[in-house]
Formats: sequence, C-alpha cells, structure tokens
Amino acid sequence: MIGEALKGHLDLLLLAILSEGPAHGYAVIESLRSKSSGTFDLPEGTIYPALHRLESQGLLCSSWSEDSARRKRIYQLTPKGQQTLTRRQEEWKKFSKAINATVGI
Amino acid sequence: MKESRIQTYLRKLEHHLWMRGLADREDLAEVESHLLEAVELGLHQGLSLEEAETRALERFGSIKIVVSTFEKERKDVMQNILLAVAMLAGLFSAYVDSRPTWDDTGILAGGLLMISGFLTLLGHRKPWLIALAVGIWIPLHDIYLSHDFRLLLVLLFPLVGAYGGWLVRLGIRKTLHPA
Repeated sequence: MIGEALKGHLDLLLLAILSEGPAHGYAVIESLRSKSSGTFDLPEGTIYPALHRLESQGLLCSSWSEDSARRKRIYQLTPKGQQTLTRRQEEWKKFSKAINATVGI
Repeated sequence: MKESRIQTYLRKLEHHLWMRGLADREDLAEVESHLLEAVELGLHQGLSLEEAETRALERFGSIKIVVSTFEKERKDVMQNILLAVAMLAGLFSAYVDSRPTWDDTGILAGGLLMISGFLTLLGHRKPWLIALAVGIWIPLHDIYLSHDFRLLLVLLFPLVGAYGGWLVRLGIRKTLHPA
C-alpha cells in the first residue's frame, strides 16, 4: 500500500533529498529510509531507474567520484531540478492540506 | 574460483537488461558499487559474508522487479518514434492492399516482413508490438469486410520479420560487446 502510494511521489522525495547536497544512490536510499523512519522502504534497485530518468529530464546531473576506494556516481540537483522541486513542494502543500482537511487530521 | 552471490546477481541482471536492450555499463557499475557498499556495511555490523550478501540482495530487489522498473522508466522517445513509423507503414500497407488494382500479395507480405525486421533492427525492444503495429491493419480491414478470421495469419509475416530483426540486433550487440 505504502509502496504504491509512494511511487507517485518518488520524484519529489528524491529531489528533496538531493536538495540537501550531492549524494550517491546508496546515500539517497539510506536517507529516504532514515528520514521516513523506515516507512519508505522500496526495493533499492528500483530507485536507480528513477534517478536516471530525473537525470535524462535535466533535473539531476551526475558524475563519477574516484575519491573513495570504490567509484561512486554522485547525483546533484540542477537549477531546473531546484525549480521543479519548489513547484512540487507547493503542490504537495496544497494537496496534503486538502487531504488532511478532508479526512479530519 | 566460485562466483560470489553478488557477481551471480550482477551477471543475471546484465543478461536480462541486455536482452531488453537496456544494458548500460555505467548503470551496472553503479549497481555493483551499491551492492558492494551494502555488503561492506553488513560486514561492519558483524554479519557473515553470506548474511551480508543475502541482506544486500534482498534489499536491492529481485532481478524481475529491478529489470521491470528499468524498462518502465526508460520509455525513450526513439521507441515511440519507431512504433509510430510501424503504425504508419502498416496503415499504408493496408491502404495499398485495399486498392482494387493491387493483387501482388507476395510483395506486400515481403514488405511487412522487411519493415518489421528493419524497425526492430533499429532498436525497438518489443518485437511483438512492432509486428502488431505493422501487420494488424490488413487483417482488420479484411475481417471487417469478409468476417474471415483466418486472415489473422497475415500477422505471421511481420512477426517473423520483427523477431528476425530483433535476433540480428542481439547478435550484432553480442559481437560488439561480448558479455
């Protein structure tokens, strides 16, 4: 149930996490899990295609880091991604406010 | 030397992605990096290698789920263009076939086979869809007129062509990028 509901909002969550700074996929997934206290626990392998899609849409850019012992692909929000995030956050505020008001929270 | 569970998973994942024309060296390197990091973390937490690998793979998701997500997310423009060309070519063939002056079925059947093969050779990942987009229009038109469902056999030509082109493309890719 949560997994299905999450899919529609995954872009917003990924953009929000990356707005805190560049990160590699593993860190993004860990952040998603820890910030949601384990509620958003999708199969990790399904996050990468979403990151790649956001990159192909110009919302993220990536580069390979050789700093650590292992090569890591680091994702970063682009200016277009930042704009999209701001817009999606506003939409989410309105949407969640309406839902809360309707269900009586 | 025995292959680790992570290596086995990566090999199978690459194979499944490759079969769908989705394999990308950078994407696979990223998956490998992720899994190795997850295993490393498990080892730091006191798990055995086997337990750490098991947990890393469970959290990453089954090959089926991961491949299907890659496929859904990678609906690139080229796939849609090739499908549109297939539909246009199919409609044109049906138009030609419907002309009273046209009676060369052999040329038309060969044309359906060639077009379908060419479009999957160019990179469409779903041969059955290309075959349908190219070949469904002639039987649809004729069934509408004659109610003879045996005309669906016409679909065999684009199906053979589409899967032929797809196999040739796999062969070319295998030659250029041996696994």
